[in-house]
Amino acid sequence: MRLAWPNLSERRLTTMAWISAVVLVAASAALGLRAEVAFRRDLTSQTNAQADILASSLTAALAFDDLLAMEQYVQALRANPRLSAAAVYDAQGRELVGLHLRHMRPPPITIGPVRTEWTDGRVRATRRAAEQGQTLGYVFMETRRDSWSAILGRHVGVGLLTLMGLILMVLVSSAAAKLQARASELAQANARLTEEMGARAQAEEALRQSQKMEALGQLTGGIAHDFNNLLQVIMGALELIGRKASDTPRVQVWARHGLAAAERGASLTRQLLAFSRTQKLDLRPFVVADLVTGMRELLQRTLGGAIELVLDLDAARMPVLSDHTQLELAILNLAINARDAMPEGGRLTISTEIVTVAPGHPLLPPDDYVALSVTDTGQGMTPEVIGRAFDPFFTTKSVGKGTGLGLSQVYGVARQAGGEARIESRPGGGTTVTVLLRRSLEPAAVGVSAPGPEAVVAPSAGATVLVVDDDEQVRTLLHETLQLLGYRVLDADGGAAAIRFLQAGRPDAVLLDFAMPQMNGAQVADRARQLWPDLPIVFASGHADTAAIQAAVGEDAPILRKPFELDLLARTLSSMIGRSVAAERAASRARGEVG
Amino acid sequence: MARTGPAEVGRAAALLLTLAGPAQAHMSDLKLAVKAAYLCKLGPFVAWPAAAFGTAEDPLVICIQGADPFGRVVDREVAGRRVGTHPMVVRRILRLERGSGCHIAYVAGSGSQSADQALAAVDGAPVLTVTDSDRGPAKGVVHLVLDGGKVRFAINAAQAQADGLGISSKLLALAVGASR
Repeated sequence: MRLAWPNLSERRLTTMAWISAVVLVAASAALGLRAEVAFRRDLTSQTNAQADILASSLTAALAFDDLLAMEQYVQALRANPRLSAAAVYDAQGRELVGLHLRHMRPPPITIGPVRTEWTDGRVRATRRAAEQGQTLGYVFMETRRDSWSAILGRHVGVGLLTLMGLILMVLVSSAAAKLQARASELAQANARLTEEMGARAQAEEALRQSQKMEALGQLTGGIAHDFNNLLQVIMGALELIGRKASDTPRVQVWARHGLAAAERGASLTRQLLAFSRTQKLDLRPFVVADLVTGMRELLQRTLGGAIELVLDLDAARMPVLSDHTQLELAILNLAINARDAMPEGGRLTISTEIVTVAPGHPLLPPDDYVALSVTDTGQGMTPEVIGRAFDPFFTTKSVGKGTGLGLSQVYGVARQAGGEARIESRPGGGTTVTVLLRRSLEPAAVGVSAPGPEAVVAPSAGATVLVVDDDEQVRTLLHETLQLLGYRVLDADGGAAAIRFLQAGRPDAVLLDFAMPQMNGAQVADRARQLWPDLPIVFASGHADTAAIQAAVGEDAPILRKPFELDLLARTLSSMIGRSVAAERAASRARGEVG
Repeated sequence: MARTGPAEVGRAAALLLTLAGPAQAHMSDLKLAVKAAYLCKLGPFVAWPAAAFGTAEDPLVICIQGADPFGRVVDREVAGRRVGTHPMVVRRILRLERGSGCHIAYVAGSGSQSADQALAAVDGAPVLTVTDSDRGPAKGVVHLVLDGGKVRFAINAAQAQADGLGISSKLLALAVGASR
């Protein structure tokens, strides 16, 4: 059988044990006292009774002075082992017969007061011997004092009980004290730990803050440096164009340089946006080998003459699902890193192969993957650096040289394409970065890569475009560009002005900035659609969240990312206007048929 | 149990004769005092039939029949004493009769009534008769004798029973001839 035991706390248990011990001690002491009192009372009454019996027996002997008889009676008391002395006195209190036993003190020579008392461990009884009211004499009786062994024997049980109780009390008290000490030690330790944890958390927070500041410094430094370089190129080109505008062949070269610099700037901002995850990935199936092949010239240019570029591409043409542009950027990032790791020159190998991931991989589902490896013969990395290489803002380059975003972007692309990225490197032994991309079950789309530049499409003659942008320079630039393309252009510096134009009449299209004070692009678009439901609206955005724009104006809304090329603007606008005109014609045909 | 054989009686008589001389008076002063004291101390050890006392306050009467040998000694001895609730008194009479109202009677004998006559007069009555071997051979219920120079007493328990008297065993235990 299992006994239910109350679930008591240690402290209560200790208190109960202590109380039990105290009760035990108190009870044993009370029992002992009671036993002693009872013993004395018994002994007193026994002695009294015996003295009375003796007194009663002796009355006649006393009356008739029969000392012999008295002697006999008194001697008979020897049989009582408790007695130490006895005596008989006449009516005047003079001793007649005395007896003292076992070397005890003799009885008093003259009688004391008639009483029975417990003194000094003995009972002393003095009784009157009387017959029919006549006092004939007195008897005295004294018990011997108990030996220690007798007292011990009498109290041994209770004494043991008391002793046990006392021991229990001491043990419980010391246990409780230890418990208390341990509890307070624990509390102290806990307080110390909490304090240390707090201090540690503060230190970590401070460290994080300083890391953040350092990262921010690196980022801004890196971006500022890159942008300054690009701006230097653009400014230089524009200045040259301004001075020698008539030298057409050279102007075209300068313009190309300026445009290339601007493209690099755009690429940089795309990288930043990809990092901040505000740009939506455009996942489409394509063949990695084709992409790499298409980048050969760009890569060769980026690497410079000192570095040999080797492409080792598989022929399986297995499509992967990824963002074409982002993967391009990733390869470019890896190539730039490789170049920076090989300042004295070397070899960069880009290879692709198909690998199969077996079940049980911690990250990847079992499938076939395309492994894209970029290997350099550079200085390599230490394990510590490898450990942090994919962290955003982590860079080994000096301030102004790197943003710390390159490998982070590579990692992001790999994960978004259902794969992963890993680094193999050792100091002095070169570095291989491998990006695993999960295969796509859809076949690769044709012609995704690098659509060839088309001739700027001529707009519908005299079509009117309403340009809405709060930035005057951008507005002016767009105005002039569109005029160059043959459009009629209306300028609005904000939502309110745009709506005034729209109320006045329907333009053929609206080029709308998204982020504006007071009314944003989505709100303006809403209002415009209320006025002109079929009005083509093209959004131009520098930073805004794609998802936010799409949520506001619908999935199909065409979005131009600033900075955009002239061509893209022209194509987008002309296709939008063309579609709108076609729809208009279809509608009017339908009306005509009905009519 | 007192044995009163002829030898003892003879010895007592001889003693009586010896003590009859002039030296006897001096010697016997102490003995007389002892005897007087004993006479007064017998009361507590004797039980009389209820009819012997009218009320609880009635005195216990000690009679001295015939020639009084004690004088004032016995009066001093009883002064203020009680036996139970009964105060003790001493009465001196010439003749002991049933109607004398005595509870204890010291029978000394006199010209008008010899000791034997006195004893015969209260035979069967609840009167504790006390005789003295110094006075003669007559023996009452209690008979005072000398034993080893000390005054002792013999008790005739049969007579006591016949007289309707209860004698305390404590007293009987002290009597001469009683087994101890």
